[in-house]
Amino acid sequence: MPIFRSGEIKIAALLCTVLMTALGPRIAGATLGEPEITVQSDVAQFRASIKSSEDRVGYRIHEIQLPGGTLLREFVAPDGNVFAVAWNGPTPPNLRQALGKYFDAIVSAPKPRFADHRHLQIQQGDLVVQGSGHMRAGFSGRAYLASAIPSGVNLGDLH
Amino acid sequence: MALMRALRMGLGAALCLAAISCGGGGSGRGISSGPPPPPAGNNVASVIVDQGPNNQSVNSLFTSVTVCVPGSTSSCQTIDHIQVDTGSYGLRLLAPVLTLTLPVETLASGNSLVECTIFLDGFSWGPVVTADMQIAGETAKSLPLQVIGDSRFPTVPANCSGMGMGKAEDTVSAFGANGILGIGPFELGCGNCDTATHGIYYACGTTCVETVVPTAKQEPNPVTRFATDNNGSIVALPAVAANGEVTLTGSLIFGIDTQSNNQSGTQTVLTVNDLAELTMTFNGQTLANSFIDSGSNAIFFADSAIPTCTTTDTDFYCPGTTQMLALSIQGANGVMVNNLTFGVGNAQTMLNTNQTFNVFPELAGPLPAGNPGTFDYGLAFFYGKRVAVAVGATSVGTGPYIAF
Repeated sequence: MPIFRSGEIKIAALLCTVLMTALGPRIAGATLGEPEITVQSDVAQFRASIKSSEDRVGYRIHEIQLPGGTLLREFVAPDGNVFAVAWNGPTPPNLRQALGKYFDAIVSAPKPRFADHRHLQIQQGDLVVQGSGHMRAGFSGRAYLASAIPSGVNLGDLH
Repeated sequence: MALMRALRMGLGAALCLAAISCGGGGSGRGISSGPPPPPAGNNVASVIVDQGPNNQSVNSLFTSVTVCVPGSTSSCQTIDHIQVDTGSYGLRLLAPVLTLTLPVETLASGNSLVECTIFLDGFSWGPVVTADMQIAGETAKSLPLQVIGDSRFPTVPANCSGMGMGKAEDTVSAFGANGILGIGPFELGCGNCDTATHGIYYACGTTCVETVVPTAKQEPNPVTRFATDNNGSIVALPAVAANGEVTLTGSLIFGIDTQSNNQSGTQTVLTVNDLAELTMTFNGQTLANSFIDSGSNAIFFADSAIPTCTTTDTDFYCPGTTQMLALSIQGANGVMVNNLTFGVGNAQTMLNTNQTFNVFPELAGPLPAGNPGTFDYGLAFFYGKRVAVAVGATSVGTGPYIAF
């Protein structure tokens, strides 16, 4: 359910709740850098379900439950574009889908010179991808477009 | 730096050639540049921290294993530089170094079983095969293991490469080892792959589709398949000078309280939860998803007071002066080990000052994701310790546990 924390009047919140409940299944599952509205296909691609959508100060977050148990969270800026995705679960999501056109930038990005198999940090221009995890416990990570982070949003919130 | 690397590579190649020309004794056409195998009956394998087969490893622990075609005593190969990893489960070998043809496991449907292993930073695609595995004097008969990059299964499912950042880790250079020996504190790396699919296992006929897999066909911690000494293993490494060493040699001892050389004695037992994790307390924070992991090459934790390196090695910390810090570790059984101290040095300084060094006890880095509940204590934890990783029952407890 959407939660409004910025002190709007209750009626506005209620209207938004009704609106988002109606639109929720249609708008969740955006791809990084893409408009929120273009994402219907993603949920279908992931054979996923929407767990929640929530408005926070400065952005909206959609939480998507993937069939293997992984949670995918997508962060939408006030301009309507997805500026970050984050994941946590037994396996990472198919990042080709979640990162869209930015996936190729990850593929071509060099690894750090002393990489191990438990951590990843990639920075390619505006794109930052970070992850960690180990077998059995699972994996968590995030990808964001640094210049697209709305003002006032803390990096620590993007998980 | 490039010159030093080139010299190191040259030296490595020379040592490798010397080792191969010396033979390695025995059967097969294998690469045997590691230490000679101990006599049969021995439960101790040699381990080493060195530059690795890609000449690009730090704080990585390696051993050698021998694999044979199931039932054969002549079609065998000894492979060195197998990474010893207490944070994963099962034996995985890189196809480019494997000269044997090992039989692929088939499912009830008749399709081949192929796995997409995700090591976070990439994907490793290849079939599950069986082999008789030997290490020290121990043998695991008909052990399921993975062959990564096997040319018999060249087509990687899109979902597999998508989960693994599109980065194939199917060469020695990309993987950083000739294989990996996962000896974590459970029998299996997947808790429910017999009933649920996670994009890990695939049934491959004309195409590959995700599948559930009976536990007997999944790759287990090989120690659990030994005839004896099968309740866990012990990593024993000497202490290291604070600024590092070129190499470090030690022992991987199989079994806990099964022989005179693997007794628990007064070791402290910390049981792990179902995720193989412990609770660590650092800087007043309780970090419930923490772990001790020989497969992590540094000490990874979040501390905004320590600067991350800039320009190079940005995945590590670069404090102005070495920081001495402390943490506490608590097991799922409530047992607490307090005030373990560790140093955090300047990564750029240590990596650039002694470029022949591969052992860095004070190498540390930030956690790369928004994951504030984790402290990942890597191989440095094992330096100067004897760390038991128990799967089954011992004289002092029942696995899964870590003791030291």
